[in-house]
Amino acid sequence: MEMVTRLVGRPPSKLTRFFINSGVALFTFLLSIAALNFINDLLTRYPVLGWIGVGLFALFTLAALGMAWREYRAWARFARIDAIQRQAGAALAEDSLDKARAVADGLVALYRDRPELEWHRKRLADNRGDAFDARTLLTMGETELLAQLDQDARREIEAAARTVAAATALIPLALADVAAALAANLRMIRRMAEIYGGRAGAVGGWRLARTVITHLVATGAVAAGDDLVETIAGGGILSKVSRRFGEGVVNGALTARVGIAAMEVCRPLPFIAQPRPKVGNLVTRGLRGLFGSDERG
Amino acid sequence: MGIGSTLMAGIGLGDPVIRLGVTGLSRAGKTVFITSLVANLMDRGRMHALRAAADGSIKAAWLQPQPDDTIPRFDFERHLAALTGPEPHWPEGTRHVSQLRLSLRLDGRGLLGGLTGPRTVHLDIVDYPGEWLLDLRLMEKDFSEWSAEVLDRMQGRPGAEEYQAALNGLDGDRFDEPVAQRLAQTYTAHLHAAREAGWSDCTPGRFLIPGEMEGSPALTFAPLPASFEGGRLHKEFRRRFDAYKSRVVKPFFRDHFARIDRQVVLVDVLGAIHQGPRAVEDMRRAMADILTAFRPGRAGWLAQLLGTRRVERILFAATKADHLHQVQHNRLTAILSAMLREARDRADFSGARTEAMSIAALRATTEDVIHQDGQELPAVRGRLLDGRQAAFYPGELPADPAAVLHPARDGADRWLDGDYAIMNFAPAPMTARPGDGPPHIRLDRAAEFLIGDRL
Repeated sequence: MEMVTRLVGRPPSKLTRFFINSGVALFTFLLSIAALNFINDLLTRYPVLGWIGVGLFALFTLAALGMAWREYRAWARFARIDAIQRQAGAALAEDSLDKARAVADGLVALYRDRPELEWHRKRLADNRGDAFDARTLLTMGETELLAQLDQDARREIEAAARTVAAATALIPLALADVAAALAANLRMIRRMAEIYGGRAGAVGGWRLARTVITHLVATGAVAAGDDLVETIAGGGILSKVSRRFGEGVVNGALTARVGIAAMEVCRPLPFIAQPRPKVGNLVTRGLRGLFGSDERG
Repeated sequence: MGIGSTLMAGIGLGDPVIRLGVTGLSRAGKTVFITSLVANLMDRGRMHALRAAADGSIKAAWLQPQPDDTIPRFDFERHLAALTGPEPHWPEGTRHVSQLRLSLRLDGRGLLGGLTGPRTVHLDIVDYPGEWLLDLRLMEKDFSEWSAEVLDRMQGRPGAEEYQAALNGLDGDRFDEPVAQRLAQTYTAHLHAAREAGWSDCTPGRFLIPGEMEGSPALTFAPLPASFEGGRLHKEFRRRFDAYKSRVVKPFFRDHFARIDRQVVLVDVLGAIHQGPRAVEDMRRAMADILTAFRPGRAGWLAQLLGTRRVERILFAATKADHLHQVQHNRLTAILSAMLREARDRADFSGARTEAMSIAALRATTEDVIHQDGQELPAVRGRLLDGRQAAFYPGELPADPAAVLHPARDGADRWLDGDYAIMNFAPAPMTARPGDGPPHIRLDRAAEFLIGDRL
């Protein structure tokens, strides 16, 4: 797991980035020239096949544009969530009801297309007139709209922690378990974005993962901290039985941490009244039964 | 409540009781506050900021018969009917002490929550005429001090000349009950007139609302200038003044205030600002004086076992915030904090937790915007006392509280820059959804601060 965070979180140096960018540019350039030559060639020799090639190219370009549009939409949604987050922070800091109302409007707009939140939206609309403080109004929005989503996010994190723990414990190849953990984490982060209303595309998903890892590093949560002591100690007992099982528990706990960081990044509001999930609880629930009944809980 | 449960409560094993002291001068809105708080704790649909209500750990609320058999129950139903009935109006001024106990049934919480099962917490609240509160200031004064002070500030208030005239030509060496009666009546008339004109420091408070003690010797005295000292009249009045303190003020304070552990101080800041700088200064002095009578701080567990109580949390609340648009609430709160700075610092220093906020126990208005000369003024709309609807912009409160407090302290007659006019709105007729209490502003936050930690 530490390998994963290192892989994802390391910022490339300027030179490296320049190298990669110029390389990609060169490669694309060569590829397009080759394709152009190829089509040209084809058109002169077998015009029918050439036209088919042109048609296929057009289709592919269209598809690529569609993808780009989707990525753009995903970005736009992220930007909206980001804006709501910033606004909420400002509203809380200044205790400004007007800003908080704007945040509530933004939240409702963000979740307009969710039929399962219909009732909650209605309750929020009914009750928001009672709130005269930024904090009260945001708490209301959090309780009505986000509490449900928090539960989904928790379950997602638990599932990911379980996958990673199992993978570490059971996959016998070195590095293969790293790949499995990476995949599980990326999947979890994308799900987190989807739960809270973002739509992670391919590029967006990778960028989001980077943001999450940066957040983790910035909050100093990669190293084992006090909330991990218990897990590691528990893993210690388990590691007497099997070293890999112990590692599995620790990796599961680290995944839970990544999950919580992802939650914080993707959640449109900070945790105000709703409890922030704790690594211990998530791991306990996520790994229940995975390594036999000696796990707590 | 038998001896057993009293004993258990005494050593902290019975159901916990929260004694909420509602302090405020007359017309600060004590009765409405209590009524709305109780109604909103019974129907918790609008208590979003009260965590125990929002997360559903309050299972039920029940208005109990109050524990004290000799005091009438707070007439909750009548006051609520007045506020929320088809023709809503404010309840009349309180004329006697009344008490009420609200019992809350709570889900167990914490580690042992599942084991202990539901808990019960009692909330005891006392309502009383705000005029009586001023008597707390008399406790550390003797008759001569009080007389000098009262006669000094009497100048320029309505009814002062009549009283001065009654004093002139009085023989200080003779004591006549009819003369004393007449003097007391003139003085009482002056107090009534002064209170009508907006002065708040009218002592003794029982002269204004005597209850069943009307005409008794303890209520038949009046301030005398120093020239009467040594005479029989002065001696007799001094004796009566002392009797008033020991027989009237002290029991009232002992029974209702000495044992409170949470306190809410209601101040009608807007009303005072509306009446002018003198009323503001007058109110500031009165509140600062009154608040010195309370003992804030944290009582340690040993002191609690021994029955010592201290006021652990004090909420300073500027009432009638619904007369302002919400954008000005912060300024109102700032003015209130600056006004009661002294009392607040003292409480903070002694370890109590304090907070200031602008509240409206019953929201009588809705927010509105008035377009005037191309400007948008944040206003409130409501029903006036005579039944008309009106939208109203009360003027802008200064961002710096000193702009209000300095002219007041310097004794200015009127505000220099602009008037702050406050209209009197009547409660709005309402149709509540089932489960919702009366509408309010920040009553839920007030409740969270006052009792939230014990729920």
